[in-house]
Amino acid sequence: MEILSWLKRRRPGELDEEDFKDEIRAHLAIAAEEKMADGADNKAAHYAALKEFGNVTLTTEAARSIWTPRWLEALRDLVSDVRYAIRALARNWAFSLTVIGVLTLGIGLNATVFTMLKGLALTPLAGVDGSARLRVLFGQTSTGRVVRVSYPDYQYIRDHDRAFSGLMGSGLFVVNLGRGRSARQLSGELVTGNYFQVLGVRAARGRTLLPSDEIAPGRHPVLVISDALWRRDFSADPNIVGKTVEINNYPMTIVGVADSTFHGTIVSYDVEVFIPVTMAEQIGLGAPATNVLSDRRIGLLFPQGHARPGTSLASAAAQVDAIWSALSLDRPLNAPAQRLRVTPFWQAPSGGQTYVVPTLAVLSGMGLLVLAIACANIAGLVLVRGVSRRGEIAVRLALGATRKRIVRLLIVENLVLAVPGAILGVVLARRGIPVFIEYAEWLATPQRLFFNISVDSLVIGFTALVGCGSALIFGFVPALQSSRVDLVSVINQDASPRGASRGRLRGGLVVGQVAISLLLLVGAGLVSRSLDAARRANPGFDPNQVTSLEVDVNLNAYDEARGRVFYRKLLDAARAGAGVEAATLAAYAPLGFLDTRVQRVAIQAYEPRRGEDLSFLSNTIGSGYFRTLGINLIAGRPIEDRDDESGAPAMVVNNTLAQRFWGGAANALGKRVRVLDGEWRTVIGVAADVKYSRINEAPRPYFYLPFLQSYRPNMILHTRGQAPVDRLVDQARASVTALDGDLPILYARPMSEQIGGAFIFLNLMATMLLLFGTAGMALAALGTYGLVSYTVKQSTHEIGIRMALGASGLSVVREFLGRGLWLGAVGSVLGIVTALGVTRLMGSVLFGVSATDATTFARALVLVLGGVMLATLVPAWRAARTNPLSALRHQ
Amino acid sequence: MAKTPDDGHLELLQGTLDMLVLRILQWGPQHGHGIGQAIRMQSDDLLKVETGSLYPALHRLVKRGWLKGEWGVSQANQRAKFYRLTPEGKKQLVREETRWRQLVNAIGRVMKPAAAPGSEE
Repeated sequence: MEILSWLKRRRPGELDEEDFKDEIRAHLAIAAEEKMADGADNKAAHYAALKEFGNVTLTTEAARSIWTPRWLEALRDLVSDVRYAIRALARNWAFSLTVIGVLTLGIGLNATVFTMLKGLALTPLAGVDGSARLRVLFGQTSTGRVVRVSYPDYQYIRDHDRAFSGLMGSGLFVVNLGRGRSARQLSGELVTGNYFQVLGVRAARGRTLLPSDEIAPGRHPVLVISDALWRRDFSADPNIVGKTVEINNYPMTIVGVADSTFHGTIVSYDVEVFIPVTMAEQIGLGAPATNVLSDRRIGLLFPQGHARPGTSLASAAAQVDAIWSALSLDRPLNAPAQRLRVTPFWQAPSGGQTYVVPTLAVLSGMGLLVLAIACANIAGLVLVRGVSRRGEIAVRLALGATRKRIVRLLIVENLVLAVPGAILGVVLARRGIPVFIEYAEWLATPQRLFFNISVDSLVIGFTALVGCGSALIFGFVPALQSSRVDLVSVINQDASPRGASRGRLRGGLVVGQVAISLLLLVGAGLVSRSLDAARRANPGFDPNQVTSLEVDVNLNAYDEARGRVFYRKLLDAARAGAGVEAATLAAYAPLGFLDTRVQRVAIQAYEPRRGEDLSFLSNTIGSGYFRTLGINLIAGRPIEDRDDESGAPAMVVNNTLAQRFWGGAANALGKRVRVLDGEWRTVIGVAADVKYSRINEAPRPYFYLPFLQSYRPNMILHTRGQAPVDRLVDQARASVTALDGDLPILYARPMSEQIGGAFIFLNLMATMLLLFGTAGMALAALGTYGLVSYTVKQSTHEIGIRMALGASGLSVVREFLGRGLWLGAVGSVLGIVTALGVTRLMGSVLFGVSATDATTFARALVLVLGGVMLATLVPAWRAARTNPLSALRHQ
Repeated sequence: MAKTPDDGHLELLQGTLDMLVLRILQWGPQHGHGIGQAIRMQSDDLLKVETGSLYPALHRLVKRGWLKGEWGVSQANQRAKFYRLTPEGKKQLVREETRWRQLVNAIGRVMKPAAAPGSEE
């Protein structure tokens, strides 16, 4: 409002209004005097003078415009238009607030989603120039499973490649830093020597890793750490370079701190240490007695690089294909990877993009639909308001206002709705994005996440502009129509329905809104039914009353013997806890969202087909596992304490694996399987299938190895009991601390909380879709109501005549209901046809429900038609109760 | 808002009003109503100036510094705002007259083969 007072103060050099009024008064007086001199009486003379003078306001305005700079004039007009619009819209506050609310949601959601999409597609990696143009190579098995490339294969590709200006390799690993109380688990990348050069990332201190760090296996105990780690764990020590730290209990020297903007090349992971691939064995990667650097069957890296200028993705892929074929001929191997593929970074199958992109795609579709509804509503609003103000507009035109001015006023009214909507939407997005990221990070604890998604003013601004712009454009056509008022007919009070074109526009708006809201409701319905199905779905285990606590005894430098003792004591202590019914150990928890360990197996007396993928997800478990997690054992016996080092090598497989290779659970018992290059194990039991990663995964083969026969330093302790689960968690914590107060606990929490990650995207999507479906539906109903009640108002005269001629109120209601339902039906058909085409795209986010689920469609249809009927019935009923006489007199 | 010539009035040519006002004021200060009347009388009622055009024109000329407006009292003892030419205004009048004569001359030549000037419908 400062502008207003400034405008008022800005007087010098402008028309002196008082003086001009005086001047006109004098003019009129002189003119009247002359008339009186000609013999007219006083009153008639003044009247004649006034009439001769013409339009005082217009003249004043014209004089004023001589003095006022044009821009100031325009600004003043705008301000007065805005004030007028605000007053007018405040009178219609319910409708105005709804439109603003929906624009807020629409713009906010779109800004959030586009910010994330932009983050992923355009700048997936922080601190890496042109990361969007980075290409990723990955192997794919005959079953479509993605595998990393082995180190020897990487070297071969790198040395023969001509398509890339440099090809580095990297793989994500969990590493332990330090030992004892302060030790921690971090995300680390095992990288080739040219990693930093290919990415163009510099060291903020010291140096980056160099190709010279990749020459001799085991001879380069160096690493680069991230800026965040340097600040957090080393208090930004200026003399960090040259310090020695322990990585997985192996001493290594820090040679540099990476640029502060750099967070590694794994989307959504915050990578904090970078270690030369040549040190893989020293830091304990790969099973004992295998050589991770020379075994071509061990996938270690994803090769990545920028294509040379002028090399298209397709030609790069063709060249890589040729190299791969040559390699396969050169050194044949029944390797799991059938082919090598090349893909843009954001489509790479390794990072967070694999699960984020489909979700965002659906959400952005929703967002656009909601925005479309909001726009249709605004168009309807302008149309209705414009037409119901025909009288006012006609008067303004008669007083000399130009059509331009009228159209502008109507458009300003749109803006008054759109601008607060856009501002609130931007606020929502700015607040929403950090909240969303924090939520994801919280769910992912103890893993550290990093999203290269900053609140991007450019994207938010753009979205807001698009939102406002579409609101304007949608409001413009009806505004133009409203300004085309026929003065004569309005002044003659002829307000009977006119212009087929306006009726068509009105009908089109109703049909469009109905169709879109049906679409939204179907989407919302499908996802909420998916969520329902997912919640009801049996994951194959019972997470209630179960705790999870993860430790890694390597963090306190235990050797295997000490580790075994520790875990035995830990289990004993946990089982002795008050209210604990069962306790066990496991390497991985089910429903962990991401796929975990995959191991290659050989099956006795089974000849794999060429290229057949015999690598399956697996777990390492202690005794009592199936009882603790409530997993059914179908045949044989579970893993027990007797399956130790001195016992016969044993394993348990899941039902799917048993069915696939032996045709049934009972047949599986006693069969022999070899994991990697280990010894042959006997199948002692068959367990029921579990949802291992995601609730909506298809059944897949899985096997369990006894912990005592395949020791790992990093295990999860599960306990089950009838005591409150939080107390169970505290007890589990206490039993670890009692054994070793210096051993960091990676996390300890109820299992039901832990598996939340498996539901997060479904949950989020369902919430969003429901919110938008409801908002869209409400808006469409409101819009329809407005348009129909307007039609009724327009027909008051006609209704009056009809009822005067004896038509019953019922027949009037029936007629309007018929018109409304007809439009509703057309919209519904349109909506259903579109929905049938579109929901198929939602396949990846649906679970346990078909994309053309009849119940969902029927529910949405009932809701939409109900809304339309209500929106028609109320105004029609009101019209039918009109007194015919008053209706006629009103005209 | 097209102005149509009615009851025998002619429409003023675009841009000529300023010149007429300057010309009228050559004979001394005059108020707005007086200027309008003078134009009407001197054109034998053929030209009639709308106040809606006259006052903006007066203000335009004042703004350009060719006129000066002052409150005064008429012969009939009525208060009114009188406009008079400034020295700059006098020079402007000469310029406009010259231009007008050239224009009439030029248009006259073009129209010569046809009928007498100024009688087109």
